[in-house]
Amino acid sequence: MTGNLDVIIAGGGRVGFQTAALLANRGDNVTIIERDGDTVEDLADAWVATVIAGDATDPTILEQADVAGADVVAGLTGLTGLNLAVCMAATEMNPDVRTVARVEREAGDAYTRFVDAVVFPERAGAKVAADEITGSDIRTLVDVTASLDIMQIRVEEDAPAARKDLSEVRFPAGTLVISDEDGERVARSDTTLTPGKSYVVAVEPEVVDEVLNLMRG
Amino acid sequence: MSGHDNRSPEAELGLLDATMIGMGAMIGAGIFVLTGLAAEIAGPAALLVFVLNGVVTAFTGLSYAELASAIPKSGGGYAFVREIFDDLPSFLMGWMLWFAYMIAGALYALGFAPNFLELLHVYELVPPPEQIGSIAVPVVDAGVSAGFGLAFGAVLLLVALNAASTAASGSVETIFTATKVSILVVFVAFGATSPMFSGAEFQPLFSAGSGPSAVLPAMGLTFIAFEGYDLITTVTEEVENPRQNIPKAIFASLAVTILVYVTVVTVAIGTLGAQGLAEAGEAGIAEAATEFMPTGLPIIQNGGALIVFGAVFSTLTALNAVVIASSRVAFSMGREGQLLPRFGQLHHRYGTPFVAILASGVVMLGSVALPTQSAGNMSSLFFLLSFIVVNGAVIKLRRERPSMNRPYEVPYYPIPPLMGIGLNLLLTVVLVVFLVRTDPMALVLSVGWMLLGGVAYVALDRVRAMQGADTEPTSTTMTSQERD
Repeated sequence: MTGNLDVIIAGGGRVGFQTAALLANRGDNVTIIERDGDTVEDLADAWVATVIAGDATDPTILEQADVAGADVVAGLTGLTGLNLAVCMAATEMNPDVRTVARVEREAGDAYTRFVDAVVFPERAGAKVAADEITGSDIRTLVDVTASLDIMQIRVEEDAPAARKDLSEVRFPAGTLVISDEDGERVARSDTTLTPGKSYVVAVEPEVVDEVLNLMRG
Repeated sequence: MSGHDNRSPEAELGLLDATMIGMGAMIGAGIFVLTGLAAEIAGPAALLVFVLNGVVTAFTGLSYAELASAIPKSGGGYAFVREIFDDLPSFLMGWMLWFAYMIAGALYALGFAPNFLELLHVYELVPPPEQIGSIAVPVVDAGVSAGFGLAFGAVLLLVALNAASTAASGSVETIFTATKVSILVVFVAFGATSPMFSGAEFQPLFSAGSGPSAVLPAMGLTFIAFEGYDLITTVTEEVENPRQNIPKAIFASLAVTILVYVTVVTVAIGTLGAQGLAEAGEAGIAEAATEFMPTGLPIIQNGGALIVFGAVFSTLTALNAVVIASSRVAFSMGREGQLLPRFGQLHHRYGTPFVAILASGVVMLGSVALPTQSAGNMSSLFFLLSFIVVNGAVIKLRRERPSMNRPYEVPYYPIPPLMGIGLNLLLTVVLVVFLVRTDPMALVLSVGWMLLGGVAYVALDRVRAMQGADTEPTSTTMTSQERD
């Protein structure tokens, strides 16, 4: 209801730290539990979160992070087992708390018996890496939804849809062009697909190839 | 991914900027407004009053430094206490701090008015301040005190400015503070070398009637003079290397401010005498300056005008600072659900915490009707109380979360926070006893504000219970004991 969440993050390594920084920028209250002394120093310098120095699996440490008053507990260390343990211990202390665990491989719904959500940061990282490898022509913007991709696609010179109005192009069902060429306006039926310009498109995975074909040739 | 980063302001304030923010708030108005009042109560011992207050505040400064280094939030005292205490204590802390800043705003506005009149007087635009009893406002057909009108107008102006545009950044504050300090240095330099000072009279140190016992009430009254270093902790996000620079900035600003106060008060008492200083009241420093500053200078004509300008400028910038500070407390409370959510929302067009600023402005405007001394008494009282809570927060946090990373730790713990609590408590008691004798209205208003807070807390709890669960009439019983 109030905009800000009380979040506890176990593990202040790269994933935990970046997550904490993003949340802190959004105004959430973040507490990081970190075992390694050097990392604790780095976190303190970065000034994004309250830091509890200690082992997140130690119940007294979890208590010091105030699980009882937290909205979310996220286990973001590199160890799936430890993350799950932290989440389950937290649920034990505060049944209302939402739990998120970082996992090491894609596991589907297997873990959701124990935690509310799992994250697989390597996959999100891989998407970014793939985007960079293909250059700036195609870019996955966000990974918010279950399978829907929101991508930024640059129209190629010789592509089928180049220089056409949106009303003239028949995109496959499951496609929605969102922005116009400069990203200033929402696309309308008279928006022209200008070569060299990028458009934001929401697209279902099974038709991504078709859309890329139309816009990239 | 990087799209979110623009939310957090760039770290751009160095140690100097952070120190200047603290000094800017402390050297702002206190020195100009309160010197006369302190002299009125304590005589030449006003000097002692400021030194001792600086020492007492330093203990709380240590606590602030530890909290600010351990809890990376920019909200100042309320944000720390909210992290550490339960709903009710943190609500009361926010409620007290909000009031303290608002009343401080009224105090600075009331200090601004006579100094502004003095400035006009120096250029002979208006008769001497003591002759302006009231001016007739033809439209309203009623006599309105000129000072009250000016104070009211100043609050109105700054509230409107802050409501309609986002606040100026800390780097502007550095220029403001440098200006203020330079003006005071000029004051000290001319005052100390003037013939009036050579015959300075500091004896008897204590005023005839009450003796050394007058020092304590004077300390209570002027305690607010050292309020302001806590504002450093409201901008920590923008300070580079904050875990080292914030504690340093707190101590540096306190040390320099004590030094400035001591030299300025010495010169003021030395030239004008404690008696004359007391009679000048809120415009004490300004009046002292017009006595000894050279006249016939180009452009500004009277050298004293520079000091009077400094007083006007300082009270206005300090007023601006507390308008921002008070609305930030209300805004944070709204964000945390401890005031109506509307307080925690930005205005859709201006991008400012509009409701929080407006609400603070309304209370400030009402408080401008208070006598200056009552405003000083009340804001000092509430700062004392909130400083007690801050020291308590350090102790509570150490006990409950020993493993929390504390880049800065209070040395010789637990002596400093205990000293902070003890001394602040002592001053609170002395101030309350003093108020019972001399200013019962301030006391009644203070108690009234706390009762209003209790009502607001219960009412808000009811509202939330009704919104939260329509099915069950949830427990409001547990919150009904805070009246005692």
